[in-house]
Amino acid sequence: MTQTHELKFESPSFAKRIKGMLGVDFYRLFHTPMYYIFLAIAAIIPAMILSMTGMPGPDGTVTQPLYTNTWNIVAANTPLYIIGEIGEYANMNMVFIFGGIMVSIFIGHDYHSGYVKQLFTTHAKKRDYMLSKSLTGAFSMACMCVTYLIGGVAAGMISGTSFEVNIGSLLIAIVSKIIMSLGWASLYTFLNVIFRRYFGISVASSFFLGTGIPIIGAAAILGNSSILNIFLYGSSVYACLSSNILTLPVCAAVSVAWAVIYNLLGSLVLSRCDVY
Amino acid sequence: MNAIEIRGLSKSFRGLYAVDNLNMTVPVGAIYGFIGENGSGKSTTEKLICGHLVPDKGKIKLFGKSYKDAGVRARIGALIENTGCFPNSSVWDNLMMQAINLGLTDRAGEIDRVLHIVRMEDNAKLKFKKCSLGMKQRIGIALALLGDPALLILDEPINGLDAEGMKMMREILVDITRQYGCTVLISSHILGELEKIATHYGIIRQGRMIQELSAQDLEGRAKVFTSLKTQNMTDTFELLRQKFSDVRTEDGYIRVYDVDDTEGIVEYLLKNGLSVSEIQKNKIGLEEYYIELMSRKEA
Repeated sequence: MTQTHELKFESPSFAKRIKGMLGVDFYRLFHTPMYYIFLAIAAIIPAMILSMTGMPGPDGTVTQPLYTNTWNIVAANTPLYIIGEIGEYANMNMVFIFGGIMVSIFIGHDYHSGYVKQLFTTHAKKRDYMLSKSLTGAFSMACMCVTYLIGGVAAGMISGTSFEVNIGSLLIAIVSKIIMSLGWASLYTFLNVIFRRYFGISVASSFFLGTGIPIIGAAAILGNSSILNIFLYGSSVYACLSSNILTLPVCAAVSVAWAVIYNLLGSLVLSRCDVY
Repeated sequence: MNAIEIRGLSKSFRGLYAVDNLNMTVPVGAIYGFIGENGSGKSTTEKLICGHLVPDKGKIKLFGKSYKDAGVRARIGALIENTGCFPNSSVWDNLMMQAINLGLTDRAGEIDRVLHIVRMEDNAKLKFKKCSLGMKQRIGIALALLGDPALLILDEPINGLDAEGMKMMREILVDITRQYGCTVLISSHILGELEKIATHYGIIRQGRMIQELSAQDLEGRAKVFTSLKTQNMTDTFELLRQKFSDVRTEDGYIRVYDVDDTEGIVEYLLKNGLSVSEIQKNKIGLEEYYIELMSRKEA
């Protein structure tokens, strides 16, 4: 039997396209072990920091625990732009570093397998790709923040550190950091689109920017300036245990603004360059 | 309306033109055999049509619309170079992802349908990386067939397959082209196979389209020849060259081109004391036509 092919070409709406693209990304995310491994890594990190820094060393001397308050594993007491004690940077912001590696692997697989060609052969537009990867990455990092929090609380309970905190500021800090995931995921998506042919450089650049070294460097010159909040790392640091209600809109505005900028830039790069 | 219409298309890599001012016309419903030697620009042209590469200049229209039109693109299926599957995901998962991307409603039914076409129903649970080359090619075709494509672009789907794989792929291609009635652009080195299914041909050389013709055109242009064997091939060859303009020796036979009067040839040779042991009327095929065209262009 011969099928007759109607030559009707209905342009799929943006909603339909993005639904399809997000559907693919989430299907892949939930069907690959990588996502669950990174969730587990996020849960283990705070436990390791809290428990191992207080353990006796090989010579029997017990080191001072890094934190005496469990919630310092989530955020610093005040915004720490200038580097003092390196340990003070060990908080939920580390999720963004590991999240960067995860996004790099996720997007790297798209190019390495050639799947991206399948995507772009069909109705998928370059901006849909950027947006979908950013949202999927943001979701993954938000989930990592949650498992990080669970791991931190569990470790705090086991190690017996204090749970004393201003609950409102803590909640604002946690929600703000989760909101920052969108901006970070967009940055990593953009970096991976730029270095799509070089997986190693993609991972390295994500790691480098994820650590916030450029902002820490800038802070060394500018000092403890709130102007640094306009950057992703600055806002992520701004979300701390002394946060107030203003922290939330600042983080949301910064995260969304950078997400828009990186998405536009990434779409521009993709539309002007060959897909390899 | 044409399924593919390309005008003045060029694409260069570091100053070297892979596709150079190419024109191409593929009518709707055609099975277009895209022929050319390695590095002639076939894959680059296909990648340009699929939007993988950004052209330097030129226009590409698909079904009368811009090749960037999302409505048209939603109905393109392609297998170019590799299948574009995730190696650690199963065949089913890979197909499911493409079905989700295309926004298909009956995804499971559609996956079953394409797996049936490519004879892969029993391997759906297999991880992609565990599949043989032939299976991977078939999965690539299954991916391309998802969602009722109006245009299929298949780049060397038979390449690298063993005899068994080639046989199966040939059957699948015949099924697709005859039963599913969409426009198909196939590039292949195996011209004998292409000849069995193609309705149109495009011959590309050094990035330029040197000839486009339909199967009927080829039939009309294809030279008729008589091939024969005698006891004394050297004398026969010399004798025939005196009477006919195009006489060649190929594959142990003497070929007299543009002459199908076998009786006249036998009579002529007999008159000159040469008896014919074997004689046959023939027509040159696509492969020979292509080789001849290429050698003419080179000259």
